[in-house]
Amino acid sequence: MVDAISPRDPNEVMKLDRLGSAHQCRLSFMRQLLRRMSRENWAFETPVFDIDAKGVGHAVYTARGPEHSYSLVAFAHDLPPEKRSDRVIATAWDATFTLFDGVPDADDIARLSKNVPLQEAGRVSDRELSLSRANRSVRLWDHVVDTLASGQQPDAAKVGDVGYLMRTTAVYGSGKFGAADREQTRHRPECAGPFQVEMLSVYLTRSFVMDLVEHMARMKAPDTAVPIDPDLRRRFGIGNSTGLGMAPFLVTHPALLNAWVGAREEALSRVRSLPKATADEAAAFRLLVARASLHANAWTSEHPLQINKLQALRADMIALQAHLAKADLISQQPWDRLWEWAKTALSLEGQEQLAALLLEPYGDLVDGLTECMATDEHVTFPIDGTMRTSVLREILEGVYGWTLTIDWDAPESHARVWYVSEAKLEPRLGERYEEPIEPYEQPLGPGRDAARLYVALKEVDTSVAAFLLAHPEHRHIARRAQIAARLPYAEIRDNTLSATMLPIDMLRLKLSFFGACHFDPRSDRWLRINMFQHAPFPHELAQGSDDWTLPPLPIAAQ
Amino acid sequence: MNEVESLARKAVRGAGYDWGLAEEAGKATRWTCAAGWPGATALAHLLDHTKDMSKAELGPASLTGTWVAKQGVLCPITTGASLCDLASDWADGRIAEIGPVMQPMLLIPYLVWAADRTGAALSLRLEGLRLTRAEGETYLHDPDIARQAAQADWVRVEPAGVPPVKADLGARLNRAYRAELSRETVTTLNRLAKRTYAPETESSRLGGAGAGLSDND
Repeated sequence: MVDAISPRDPNEVMKLDRLGSAHQCRLSFMRQLLRRMSRENWAFETPVFDIDAKGVGHAVYTARGPEHSYSLVAFAHDLPPEKRSDRVIATAWDATFTLFDGVPDADDIARLSKNVPLQEAGRVSDRELSLSRANRSVRLWDHVVDTLASGQQPDAAKVGDVGYLMRTTAVYGSGKFGAADREQTRHRPECAGPFQVEMLSVYLTRSFVMDLVEHMARMKAPDTAVPIDPDLRRRFGIGNSTGLGMAPFLVTHPALLNAWVGAREEALSRVRSLPKATADEAAAFRLLVARASLHANAWTSEHPLQINKLQALRADMIALQAHLAKADLISQQPWDRLWEWAKTALSLEGQEQLAALLLEPYGDLVDGLTECMATDEHVTFPIDGTMRTSVLREILEGVYGWTLTIDWDAPESHARVWYVSEAKLEPRLGERYEEPIEPYEQPLGPGRDAARLYVALKEVDTSVAAFLLAHPEHRHIARRAQIAARLPYAEIRDNTLSATMLPIDMLRLKLSFFGACHFDPRSDRWLRINMFQHAPFPHELAQGSDDWTLPPLPIAAQ
Repeated sequence: MNEVESLARKAVRGAGYDWGLAEEAGKATRWTCAAGWPGATALAHLLDHTKDMSKAELGPASLTGTWVAKQGVLCPITTGASLCDLASDWADGRIAEIGPVMQPMLLIPYLVWAADRTGAALSLRLEGLRLTRAEGETYLHDPDIARQAAQADWVRVEPAGVPPVKADLGARLNRAYRAELSRETVTTLNRLAKRTYAPETESSRLGGAGAGLSDND
């Protein structure tokens, strides 16, 4: 009999540098979506594709599930280059989208055509579930159209360099700009998991973009144009540019963060707890690591921080393969022994890649945990005011112990201010000692707030309710502390106000749960990613394989 | 509803309340709107009145005895916070005598959360109104006029009895998915929400979001 391995310590897991090394895994939201659609035999059709030679028009892509249908309504535009911006402040795009709840009729299309192309400046209704837009990768777009038009296939190396033909620059979900609230759809099984509506929207967007590029080649040269070779087609994902706006989400949804990370950590502990593995599982795992190595090699970035991390990851993959060549993966809790080896042998990138890979052979053991990744945040929201302040202080020592050793008087410990700008109503990050923005600070520095509360509670012995009535400035962090006391992974256990904090670490964690790959930071606060690269297209889903995220090995190596 | 909650949270913060109270008031406003009630309008009236007042004066002076403000009339945001904080006390049979209180409709969600937190059925009474929260449902004897009053002279929170007889509780409340806010309400709340936004400068625009590179690639 062997002992079960406990989930990892949140003080280790919830550090920003480790969160910023997270990789997609079986539990990621894209994987959940495609498994469901495959399992339930969803049907897909394109009832409308009305786009002219300039690339202007609209199309409808409908996905039919067991109970409900969802339609991506896509509007294609002819965008002059000077208007092409990935920034959230842009006002025009190459393509704009909404996910419609059901199948739209002509009146719906007419209404949407007046609003969706305007994005934030338009207004959608509760028949719509998301609102998004995308821009072309001009370099790759022109190359693909030109080669296909001339009857050739695009250069695989160029496809690999960019990885997508369009990248979305914002995907707005529930309740934004008039779209339906999540409450309206959350009772449907396919919408119950996190961000399933948004992932479906992006998945259908990928189909539209691939159809559009082939259409443009045909319009350019009807006599010579060819479609993209199916294997090469799979190598195109959908890009995404994500900026600071997404970072606060992880702080403002502590119970949800706990649900996501907690599910992943439980999955990892289940695999590490396995007393033995079969020869087939061991062989499958070695193959996966070889594919993960290809993935690491294909992943490029121009950002110095990520270049270093990628060098470490590639070295990690070599070290891991060398170790696996001689390691016993069959007996004596093989995966836990592998994990213990990795803790000192691999960088954070490599460790977190390994954590994700270990789940792959064990879908039966871990996939059910996806059911635990949604949460009713109302349950944990109310404060227990009958708690004594002495108990709250003990909670602070446990959850926020790391804050109590920080010198909060030192400017670098709280150099940053999260605020919302008047111009675009988007989250921003400023310098506390250089800009007059402190009066506008958002409550996104739980570590500092916990340290302040800890000091304020020093000489107090009363109920939390009485204390907070007298000191309402501490209500926000008192609530967080009580949530984090119940939910171990609810709080990022690191300083989100520090001069050295990297917002891209927060973005990467969230995007890895989406299922994104190829994180490519463009600064410390925005990055590009690739979504659904290598994924089966709708007509290929019936093959039922969930094994798509890592690139396939060359035929000879299989 | 998301938009209502977000607007309300920012407006409450903009009116000078602390973030924790603003978070709760945002959810409270959303709850009243989901009940089909004009909660956002009640909030706008409330904030118009309290925005320049010291918030320390607006809550109960003490949590023992009858809850009254240090000066004037209780604010439902600060009072509601304490009401919800002490959920376990009401579940244990303690009775809260509260009043007078402004915009009493906004107090109701806090009572609902207190009941849901412990699972104990609780009733809230004010002149002409009795509302009960039991097993995740809300029941009420509810002439609109009582709920929509600008002020209630007294509010009483008490256990609804175990188990409550549902036939006696009044009509069951159904929830709505969309909120219709009047232009005047939106204007008032937006004006207060705006106080939470930092004025833009070119350096903050470029530095704050960390961009400035070409996107034509």
